[in-house]
Amino acid sequence: MKISGSYTLPLPPERTYQMMQDPEVLARAIPGCEGLEKTGEGEYRMKMQMALASLSGAFEGRVRITDQTPSLSFRLVVEGAGRIGFVKGEGLLKLRAADGGTEVSYEGEAQVGGTIAAVGQRLIDGTAKMMIKKFFEKFAEAAS
Amino acid sequence: MIPQKFEYTAPKTLDEALLLLAAGAKPLAGGMSLIPMMKLRLAAPEHLVDLGKLKDLNYIRETDGTLHIGATTTHAEIESSPILRKKCPLLAETAAAIGDVQVRNMGTIGGSVAHADPAADYPAALQALEAKLALKGAKSDRIVAAADFFVDAFTTALQPNEIIREVIVPVEAAGTGTSYQKMFHPASGFAIVGIAARVRKKAGNIALVRIGVTGLSNRPYRAATAEKALEGKLGSATEIQNAAALVAKGVDANSDLHASAEYRRHLAVVHAARALMTALARTA
Repeated sequence: MKISGSYTLPLPPERTYQMMQDPEVLARAIPGCEGLEKTGEGEYRMKMQMALASLSGAFEGRVRITDQTPSLSFRLVVEGAGRIGFVKGEGLLKLRAADGGTEVSYEGEAQVGGTIAAVGQRLIDGTAKMMIKKFFEKFAEAAS
Repeated sequence: MIPQKFEYTAPKTLDEALLLLAAGAKPLAGGMSLIPMMKLRLAAPEHLVDLGKLKDLNYIRETDGTLHIGATTTHAEIESSPILRKKCPLLAETAAAIGDVQVRNMGTIGGSVAHADPAADYPAALQALEAKLALKGAKSDRIVAAADFFVDAFTTALQPNEIIREVIVPVEAAGTGTSYQKMFHPASGFAIVGIAARVRKKAGNIALVRIGVTGLSNRPYRAATAEKALEGKLGSATEIQNAAALVAKGVDANSDLHASAEYRRHLAVVHAARALMTALARTA
């Protein structure tokens, strides 16, 4: 599944970039994240509790940040697995100054598998969009 | 599959149910969404409170120009209610288009609306009807407009310990025609796209248009630009086509195995035209 879109944050690009590399901010912004633990340079172990409608499940995974070009772009690689399925995805995030804030545009690819994909196929796209939106909303909140 | 072990309580009164919910139990209504999830072990609630057995939430009443439908009223009861068929036919028609007979016999309006599946049928009608939802918690009792209730996919204005008490819809005024048109998913019966249209004519002109859209995006919505395009017009075929073409404009359409975003947008336009045309023909 392809994922792309953009979101404008009320912060200058330098600060947005800095905050997006900060595990504490990310842990607060990622929906359902219960902790982000540094395991290496730009590498984190993540615990996540997903709750959507009556569906719920714990995920454990890894987050990697690569190809960093400060204040301009970086690549995010996420992998997670739990009892109800697995998620793998990676995307390039680009930052651009816009109207006194920062427009973050993202483009990437995600794969979802396991029980959750077998029975929830029609919901994956919508869920991904909703989680990305929540991430940016919470990120903006954490920043203010 | 057999679900994980869970506690089950079937309280006799609403107050009792609300206390259990405040203590962290999960509400069960018709079970048409929750039980399959539990059987697949995608959901594993520890304690279920069965609201389906609450007699005081099962009713269809009329008071002062509005209709009140208790949350545990089933789709089949709504579909076959003489008072709804006469005074709010859009809701009865929508209920008749849900899933299959088994689902309509078990599933409830409160359960479906609270679940807020992005492909559910009722949200289109509730948006078009400018319905209100009465929500109740152990310590709260409030009324929320449908427009504010649906926030995102499976996300509503409901607080964790609140339930829907009733759905409030208007009694249709004379000269109003309504229609619900949907593209059925062939296996599940869910709406790939569903459009509810409400049109009122006054002295030959269209005085009111309401269009509710479900299935297209995460959040059911009212297509306000399309509504405006048709207000004050006569309702010719061209005017209807032009208005229908605006229904999906600027909407972030969902995409899945069954229908791409582009196809969904196309379906929305086609079904909007059909719904408006049918609604208009019913104004007479």
